[in-house]
Amino acid sequence: MEVVRVEGLGKTYPGGTKALEDVSFSIQKGEIFCLLGRNGAGKTTLLRILATQLKPTVGRASVLGHDVLTDPQAIRPHIAVVPQEARPQMLLSPYDHILYFCLIRGQSRAQARERTQKVMEDLGLWEHRDKLASDLSGGLRQRLIIAMAMVADPEVLFLDEPTIGLDPLGRRSVWHMLRELTRKGATILLTTHYLDEAEILADHLLIVDKGRTAFLGTVEEAKGDTGLGMRVIVEPAAGNGSTAPEVLEPRSAEEILAIVERGLREKRKITFKPASLEDAFIKIVGGSIEVENT
Amino acid sequence: MKSRIREALYIGLFDALPLLRDPMLLVVISLFSFLPVIFIFVFADQRSAMQSLVGAIVLTFSFTGLFASQSVYFNKQWFRFQDMLVASKVSPASYAVGLSVSGLVVALPGVAVALILLLLSGPTTAAGVLLLLITSLLLWIGLVFVGFAIGATTKNARRANSIPQVLSIALGFLPPVYYPLDRLPAIAQPIAMLIPTTHAAQLAKYYFGLITIPLSQVAIGWAYLLGFAALMGFIASRRAHWVDP
Repeated sequence: MEVVRVEGLGKTYPGGTKALEDVSFSIQKGEIFCLLGRNGAGKTTLLRILATQLKPTVGRASVLGHDVLTDPQAIRPHIAVVPQEARPQMLLSPYDHILYFCLIRGQSRAQARERTQKVMEDLGLWEHRDKLASDLSGGLRQRLIIAMAMVADPEVLFLDEPTIGLDPLGRRSVWHMLRELTRKGATILLTTHYLDEAEILADHLLIVDKGRTAFLGTVEEAKGDTGLGMRVIVEPAAGNGSTAPEVLEPRSAEEILAIVERGLREKRKITFKPASLEDAFIKIVGGSIEVENT
Repeated sequence: MKSRIREALYIGLFDALPLLRDPMLLVVISLFSFLPVIFIFVFADQRSAMQSLVGAIVLTFSFTGLFASQSVYFNKQWFRFQDMLVASKVSPASYAVGLSVSGLVVALPGVAVALILLLLSGPTTAAGVLLLLITSLLLWIGLVFVGFAIGATTKNARRANSIPQVLSIALGFLPPVYYPLDRLPAIAQPIAMLIPTTHAAQLAKYYFGLITIPLSQVAIGWAYLLGFAALMGFIASRRAHWVDP
């Protein structure tokens, strides 16, 4: 079942800045869909349009079958958002934040108390429930913001760089929580700069560059675009004065053999590594970086 | 309708909670408008002191309306709670009312103390108190719209603080709100009548029997306050975006 559909979407801000151009994709129910791109590529703009917070200029987008521009009220009760750089109110406790968001979203006091405890326990916040937000670490504050979005038990969850500032364990607990949500049928769209996160989580990903689609597909398809899905790192020969290793992406068995023969001849160390999403990302958006640098 | 009122109530409570839990801050904010009254009580006659107390009530409402800009700004640009609430069934009207009422809740103890002092100071009718509150609320509504327009369009935290502060001087401390209109030179009095707080203060003082003004001026005062609220509402509806353009 298609939960999100985007067709030829474009956004030009009132000041004239073109943030998105002709973006099209769809997201199926229960998927984690990652939006990747450099800073200012248009990820947040796209997420905010789908979360009905920003109006598109051209094209169409629908969430749960409702148009974001003409029927946002039908979408909003079924979604939740973790905005980029959201912060808790420092003079309130995590319990206050989550309880009041439950109440604001229409839950009864009894339901709100129950839901607050459940969400806080799921996210490891219960033991911090009565501390002031100002006394929480950056990671706990971020978890609190995610918890505030989670209270709605949304069908579609939009997260804009949700794990920024979290320690490795905190990130893993968020990943686990997101997987649990999708297991229960929720659909997730998230933006991230952590490519390992996208590699682990994404069922499909969209790489946007300067507002345009640079890649759309699965993680494996993205890696496949880098060649055979492997990198060969050839260390410099001893005493040649060079310090930078060569990073090669062979596209055939003949190319691999040629690299090995050269390495043996020149007595250079050769390492084979599987291609990562980071390699694919750099390759996909690298062209535009080189153009910028010239 | 009931669910919308509930949303607004909880949004207001959530916004006001840090202040309600800090009694020192509550006292400072609640009594902010009443500080000049102390000096007028010490240095002027009782009639002026009574007028300043009525003026302080009017200004308490004005300032809470104007300073809604800070709540709007911080909830949108700093905490990003507005983005989280847009993506829910919360209506923009509940959100706006909730944030506006939070300031009012915090200021109410000061208003209550001032009303008690006024009642103890001389004969006051229930109608006088009611009309004072209605006048103040009408001005408050107009200035809530101003606060929303400022908070929603400002992207700079310093401006979100400084603009309402400058406006509070222009609307509160300079015009004849704390002091009688006739203390101004004759040439300055028509200029003072261009300011909405002057009209609200004149009406409030009139209904408390502290000044006498012609009925035509009473009618002009009400028309001015209604027109001001409507105009500011129109401007806020054009400038304060729930969904960004």
